[in-house]
Amino acid sequence: MSSEKITHGDDGGNERTIELTINDETHQVRVKPNELLLNVIRDKLDLTGPKYACGTGECRACSILVDGEPELSCLRLAVTADGSEITTVEGLSDGRDLHEIQQSYLSEGGSQCGFCTPGFVIMTKDLLDNNPDPTEEEIRDHLKGNICRCTGYNNIVEAVKVAADRSPENGESE
Amino acid sequence: MPKNSKSFHAIGTDSPRKGGKAKVTGKAVYAPDVSLPGMWHGKVLRSPHPNATVVDIDTSEAEAMGAICITPDDVPDVKYNERTISVPDAIYRDNRVLTDRPRQVGEGIAAVAAETEEKAERALKAIDVTYEEHEPVIDPEFAVSDDAPAIHESIVRDGEVEPIENNIAVERDISVGDVEQGFAESDHVFEHSFETGRTYHAQLENKTTVCRPEPDGGITVWPTTQTVHNVRQLLGEIFDINLSKVNVKRLELGGSFGSSIQTNSVTPITVALAMAADKPVKIVSSREEDMYDHCRYPSKLDVKIGANDDGTLNAVEMDVLADVGSHNIQAFPYLGVVAGFTASLYDFEHLEFRGRAVYTNKAPACAMQGFGNPQATFAVECMIDAIAEELGIDQLELIRKNYVGEGDTFWGQGPTIKSVVKSCGVEELLDQGAEAIGWDERTPPGEKDGRYRRGIGMARGFHTSGTGGPTPGEAIDYSSALVKINEDGSVDVVSALQDHGGGTRSAGARIVAEALDVPIENVELSPTDSRNTAYDVATHATRGVYAGGAAMKKAAESVREQLLENASRLLEVPPDAISLEADTDEGIGRVFVEGVPDKELTVGEVAKRAELNNWGTMAAVESNRQVACPPAYAAQFVEVEVDMETGEIDILRTAIGNDSGTIVNPKLAAGQQHGGFYRGAGYALVEDTQYDENGAIDGNGLLTDYRMLTTMDLPSNDETETFFVETEEPSGPFGAKGLGEACINPTAAAVANAVYNATGVRFTDIPMTPEKIIGDLRAEYTDRVTGKPMVPAEDDD
Repeated sequence: MSSEKITHGDDGGNERTIELTINDETHQVRVKPNELLLNVIRDKLDLTGPKYACGTGECRACSILVDGEPELSCLRLAVTADGSEITTVEGLSDGRDLHEIQQSYLSEGGSQCGFCTPGFVIMTKDLLDNNPDPTEEEIRDHLKGNICRCTGYNNIVEAVKVAADRSPENGESE
Repeated sequence: MPKNSKSFHAIGTDSPRKGGKAKVTGKAVYAPDVSLPGMWHGKVLRSPHPNATVVDIDTSEAEAMGAICITPDDVPDVKYNERTISVPDAIYRDNRVLTDRPRQVGEGIAAVAAETEEKAERALKAIDVTYEEHEPVIDPEFAVSDDAPAIHESIVRDGEVEPIENNIAVERDISVGDVEQGFAESDHVFEHSFETGRTYHAQLENKTTVCRPEPDGGITVWPTTQTVHNVRQLLGEIFDINLSKVNVKRLELGGSFGSSIQTNSVTPITVALAMAADKPVKIVSSREEDMYDHCRYPSKLDVKIGANDDGTLNAVEMDVLADVGSHNIQAFPYLGVVAGFTASLYDFEHLEFRGRAVYTNKAPACAMQGFGNPQATFAVECMIDAIAEELGIDQLELIRKNYVGEGDTFWGQGPTIKSVVKSCGVEELLDQGAEAIGWDERTPPGEKDGRYRRGIGMARGFHTSGTGGPTPGEAIDYSSALVKINEDGSVDVVSALQDHGGGTRSAGARIVAEALDVPIENVELSPTDSRNTAYDVATHATRGVYAGGAAMKKAAESVREQLLENASRLLEVPPDAISLEADTDEGIGRVFVEGVPDKELTVGEVAKRAELNNWGTMAAVESNRQVACPPAYAAQFVEVEVDMETGEIDILRTAIGNDSGTIVNPKLAAGQQHGGFYRGAGYALVEDTQYDENGAIDGNGLLTDYRMLTTMDLPSNDETETFFVETEEPSGPFGAKGLGEACINPTAAAVANAVYNATGVRFTDIPMTPEKIIGDLRAEYTDRVTGKPMVPAEDDD
């Protein structure tokens, strides 16, 4: 290897600063135009909950909420999220207390290897935010784009049902 | 077999899994989440050709960009097999860190590391490779013909170079008795041919490795793996580093299903790059790369069974052709277990097995949940259904008459690893499953009518619990664990045992809590690596709880003796006079003398006083080999609905039963049943990787092109019944046997038998995709309904 100068950080001269509010914290981040939102969240903001698994929007392991809507962070360029409010799986729990959705995935065995869990938890939040008392069919329909390779989905469906029962709106908060 | 009647405080309870909080909050660390200061990123240049020789590699431009490049000339010239858990003469070595003779699309030729992923990607594109292309060998039948070019000229086994002829990686013939005599003595001989798909594991975590070279010449490695110790041994061998300087970290594992029993191909490449760059390097496989890295052994099975009028099964003959792809990872044990699981399904007096495993220019096949058992059980259990019908005997009765049960010999891992069955819940599994699905009300195919036809089918099976046995055998099987009591009475379990997500390690914690009589909340599992643990072979072969848990139990029992000894000194009574009890309400372990109120301490008080008295830490490390491989039995019943016009198969209901001895984690155990059934149903119905004539996976080689069942394709929770028949396995920790792989083995046959019951057509080629089965279904539909040829459904229907 030749003894050339090593450039750190910006190597294309085309980075720009974007502002992302993630889990209620606002960050100014330097990103390149071709950087994926998933990679910025994982590599620059150190939130490794959202996962890369397919890269083609097929498995939803990278799911996050952007301005309250579910998004595939592996298919979105970070620059397009400038000024957005983002929630990742890490943003659900309050300190050491688990959110009722996380609590239910844990108590019902809805998480096995756990690699898909961040995406499922986010999609479950999206479902329950809009439909606090879903039927099993509605749960299965809402999660049909998420791949879990371990559970066969039964305990995930059960976790969502239990989370709905535990939600403050349904009066059984823990 | 009497039901298990023991009562436990930790085993069989449903408190949340250890480490579960980290998983549901996104804080669990998997290999792709590891990031180190000063870490560079690696990329692998992979062959676009299925069969070629590299004539020239020019890396000058990439190096001018500041990237570190390695080629086949820069890696150790060591021929290895990436899976190291067999004895030396059962290990076929045909692989290398990087190759100048790619034998499949996607094989690694060169690799680069650079400061960022983007720079590495650009440098990779700047490498110029000149290939000489050879004719690809895609079809395994062609591979064994004299016209086929040689994929491997030779391999190395136990230090000897062995030639490869007709692309046959392994041939293995196994026989018991005299099969011709068995057929001659049978009233009937039944024959069928079966074919099973090239399933992709599709574990969500793509294979990843981070490696940091250490100042002392050693390496620290964070890989995707089912076994840190075997990764360590292989890396030590390839790179000629003392094992004491090879540290492999155990991380969370984002699913595996057998695909990381072997050291994955990116791991040695990452190590070679990191050593060349003298920096930490990380390689995360892309999904496309991962799909070319591993798959299930696809097999053709020709099966012949001889039976008497009364249903006695006398003889079985099986010819297997397995397509191993570009490298022979474990075809020798694979053929052994296909024979062994067949021998263990029914009590055949005569067995003749002929297996051939052949190289092709495709992704290398390896273990995938069930390892040989889903293939064998699919073939044999479909035949049992057919034989029952031909003989006019109920299928369950035919099974009851012939199954390998208590007192019989079970082949846990091929012909060299066997033990005698001591626990068996088959009768109860059949009774309860039949009751749940309504077996007695099922009607024959001839009574079905109309476009949508429903049918009920079942299949039985099992998996081994580990690969132990009374004699050593051809596979290595033992585990180790360290257990210690801390100064407050809490307990650390230090073990290399890996957990794929099934709850193996949580089960181990329960076993330790039970053995020490402390509450489960007081037991935790330490972070571990290959340098701070003794050997554990791998979490595979459904051995985690049965064998890994047994090692933890052995260590805990040793610590229990120390606890009684210390308590004896403190309470001034003999150790035998002391009782231990877990007080789960108070969260403490009680140490007391029954009937003597003032003679009582907590485990924490004993530990603290032992420390103050300088008696030392109560701790023990043990290695343990299980001297049996008990079958974990399974039976599955399903109801399907088949659309005779489109070929779509809908699973309506299922009853999934298992005999896994004592159940350690009830909710997680049910999760194993659900998950096994889901992957088995995918194996039966949709999952496959097909290759085109250029050796590329059909479609784009992305997950988009790999069909899997979703939440919408499976029965609802109300229509999914799971149950356990809790026998007590005398050799298992607190009576436990294995579970995981038993849950997939009968599924494909159960689904296929249900499809037969619905339609009267027996499909023997899985996956049963609509495009494969539609022709036969329409022919049947025509016969029954109109008597005229069917008009094909409109494409846009």
